[in-house]
Amino acid sequence: MRIPVHTAALAVLLGMVASQGLAQGFKPTRPIEVVVHTGPGGGSDVLARAIAIMIEKEKLLPVRMQVVNKTGGNAAVAAAYLAEKAGDPHTIGFFTGVWLTTPLISAESRITLRDLTPVARLVLEPAVIAVKADAPFRTLAEFIDAAKKNPGKMKQSGGSNTSRDNVVRQLLQKSAGVRWAYISFPGGGERIAALLGGHVDMMVIEPEEAGEHIRAGTMRVLAQVSESRLPNFPNVPTLKEAGFDVPVVPQVRGVVAPPGIPKQNVEFWEDLFLRLTRTASWRKYIADNQFEDGYQNAAELLKFYDQFTDRMRDILKDAGVKTVR
Amino acid sequence: MEILSGLANGFAVALDPVNLFWCFVGVFLGTVVGILPGLGPPATIAMLLPLTFHMQPAGAIIMLAGIYYGAKYGGSTTSILMNVPGESASVVTCLDGYQMARKGRAGAALGIAAIASFIAGTVGVLGLMLVAPPISRLALSFSSPEYFGLMSLGLALVVLLAGRSIVKALLAALVGLWIASVGTDLFSSTSRFTFGRLELLSGIDFIVVAIGVFALGEVLANMETQEETQLIPVPKGLRNLLPTLQDLKDCRFAFLNGSVLGFLVGALPGGGSTIASFLSYGLEKAVSRRRDQFGTGVIEGVAAPEGANNSETGGALVPLLTLGIPGSGTTAILLAALVLWGFKPGPLFIPENPALFWGLVASMYIGNVMLLILNLPLVPLFAQVLRMPAYVLYPLILGVSMIGVYSVSGSLFDLALLLVFGLLGYLMRKLDYPAAPLILGLALGAGMERALRQSLMMSEGSLAILVSRPISAAMLSLAVVVLLIPFVGRFNAWRVRAIEQE
Amino acid sequence: MEEETRKAGDLWSGVVLLALGAYIVFEASRWEYLGADGPGAGFFPTWYGIAMVGLAILLIASHVRQRPSVEKRIAWPRVGRALAVWLALAASVALAKPLGFLLSFALLTFFIVAAMYRRPVKVAASVALAGAAGIYLAFPLALGVSLPVGVFGF
Repeated sequence: MRIPVHTAALAVLLGMVASQGLAQGFKPTRPIEVVVHTGPGGGSDVLARAIAIMIEKEKLLPVRMQVVNKTGGNAAVAAAYLAEKAGDPHTIGFFTGVWLTTPLISAESRITLRDLTPVARLVLEPAVIAVKADAPFRTLAEFIDAAKKNPGKMKQSGGSNTSRDNVVRQLLQKSAGVRWAYISFPGGGERIAALLGGHVDMMVIEPEEAGEHIRAGTMRVLAQVSESRLPNFPNVPTLKEAGFDVPVVPQVRGVVAPPGIPKQNVEFWEDLFLRLTRTASWRKYIADNQFEDGYQNAAELLKFYDQFTDRMRDILKDAGVKTVR
Repeated sequence: MEILSGLANGFAVALDPVNLFWCFVGVFLGTVVGILPGLGPPATIAMLLPLTFHMQPAGAIIMLAGIYYGAKYGGSTTSILMNVPGESASVVTCLDGYQMARKGRAGAALGIAAIASFIAGTVGVLGLMLVAPPISRLALSFSSPEYFGLMSLGLALVVLLAGRSIVKALLAALVGLWIASVGTDLFSSTSRFTFGRLELLSGIDFIVVAIGVFALGEVLANMETQEETQLIPVPKGLRNLLPTLQDLKDCRFAFLNGSVLGFLVGALPGGGSTIASFLSYGLEKAVSRRRDQFGTGVIEGVAAPEGANNSETGGALVPLLTLGIPGSGTTAILLAALVLWGFKPGPLFIPENPALFWGLVASMYIGNVMLLILNLPLVPLFAQVLRMPAYVLYPLILGVSMIGVYSVSGSLFDLALLLVFGLLGYLMRKLDYPAAPLILGLALGAGMERALRQSLMMSEGSLAILVSRPISAAMLSLAVVVLLIPFVGRFNAWRVRAIEQE
Repeated sequence: MEEETRKAGDLWSGVVLLALGAYIVFEASRWEYLGADGPGAGFFPTWYGIAMVGLAILLIASHVRQRPSVEKRIAWPRVGRALAVWLALAASVALAKPLGFLLSFALLTFFIVAAMYRRPVKVAASVALAGAAGIYLAFPLALGVSLPVGVFGF
């Protein structure tokens, strides 16, 4: 088909204008500060460092990325630090679910995602429901039955009462009409030790953490907390398939920026991370860590944030936790 | 024997010149990092991670592990010389170490710290090599009731650390418990004692309190008078700058105590070097013939905790390498490093990566030897630091303290907290409140509350769980025994008096 | 054994600790003592708060009961010196953000050497400068530990 000259000329002209527009967009000139709320070795810190390495490898940025640990306050300190850096185009932060829930329950934690500039949601972390290998339950239904017969006697190890572990528990308890005990441990290692030592009956655990124990035969998985079956767990039913129609409240990780940055800046970041999620290194990283790609741009992230916090408020109220916002 | 052949292969890996080099780099960096208060192994390892991608995994893990256990050697330096704890685990070393320095025995203290670290560190590696699987199974049987028993035992040591007034010691410990409660409650997400400040939401950092109460309190107390001359005598002559044979003999039990206790506590997920060093110090004091002199500069009081915090590193590697479960902050980042390099730490890690495991073990033996050779000659050098006139030394201590605290969190709020606890430390000195129980309460408080509440959740409210399980029952009984020790002494004295009066 | 540690301060510290203990118990009463899932946030604080109140009363009582015949006088000049240094420290932390850590530390050192140890101004200034320079070399430069930077750029 022959393209009319004027259409071609228009296309060329538009292309030139568009590239001018992009050229006038934001370009970083200093190392980028990446704020995380954990110390070195913590989940966000490791992800941030891995992403920095990937971005360097795929040459997506002309400058370095520097991870800055702002620990404390269950992400409140990191959020407040980002808020202080208003208008700074060379700072971003990696948020996780705790950034979203802490402001709901702590009066002191004043900075929510809406007070900052949401940029993108990157990954969703699914989870699995695991028991010790020699436990008598073969399916989630059997565990729920045992809980029904012994109300309050079955035990689950997990994080704080606002963590995803407890959220899953609250949703399942409500849906199945049963109750079991929930015991908080501050670190993943202790939770796993409690399960392997037979001190608790089940736990909600990230598939990557459980992987080696499953392979060694010390742990078994009853169900998976995700929308569809994960590639590494083809024979494990999802919660819905196992007969429990509960919403999958995901553990999220994403990018956030200080408030008051220009639109071009946000678009630059959105574009950067979108391109990152299309690279081979990223796909390999997701597969290795058994994450789910959950990319959303800034507008979608904001909608997700509202939905997520509304749902969390209901869940927390059911769990008896006082919400302040 | 499988172990011997594994070890032989391990030494083949570890003695490779490249790996020897990385081992040296690691232990050297670790020592430097340990000497500086505040800056710790986790942050250093995190900074070096990108470098490790260009290295072979064997060399990389050897270097990072070297930083980990090397820091435990360096941590005692500022504790002894300046009463500034270099690491959280070195807080206990301040108690007798600094007092020894004030009596002119800084060299002996530094030397015994290095020697105890070497002995205990080597025992820790031996433990990792020989008994890792059974210890790991034993550690799994340890849960909240047992932890509560362990913490109670630790807290019962308050009585031993009491000094002259038990009432004041107990009050100090209770204040420590209170400070430990500041923050967000893990179970209910309630904010406790945060006074509306978000910086307090995750609690007050242990090292901020320790440096404030110990170092700043000491400096402020010394500012009361204008000492013209250098106040801490530094003896001349190399012989006086190192531990004597008598010192080594006095520390025989301390070496054993630190090595074994540190390793066992380190192997517990949720244990830690601070608890290990407190328990070791307490045990040493409980069995020592000169227990009343602890706190005034007794050399076993330095050897035991310093040994414990070194063998704890070997112990902490047990759950990491046999189960993929990290214990403390540093093992968490070592786990992250292993994952980043493509390994999968878990129950199958050792069988599937024998060269890496045995190479690491062998390198730890070599590393401990390197550290001994590195640290001992530095002892006379470091002791010379105390030759500085007071008007140079004290600002230096203040600067190091402030930078140490700031480097942990980068927060000026923490510096303000440091000031508060510095003032508290000074007031406690003036009013004769012992500082050690406060620090002990702070170190154990959070863990003890958690363990108690977890236990009650496990038993649905029944306290019987604490005594029905053998290990926790044993620990609680020991705690009661420890609480009675001072009264035994008084009872005996009363009996003697009663007999004499007849 | 208890005699040596009796000082005038016992009464006041006892009162402060009594107040603290009472405050702790009061705050703890606002939180859950025993919940459906187990002991709540108020459980532990209630108990150590009560213990604190009890021990503080013991302390005050033993002070009142056996008031020593010769009250040890507090050496106020000495305490004054220590508190002056503390105030200088507080000032240096407050000034760390505007002036930068190095400068505020140098000022603190100068104060200690000149005012506390009565050294001549030149000595004080050189110790202050040497200290700040040493810190600058060791921490931001060699080790990459970032320190607060003030309006002067260092």
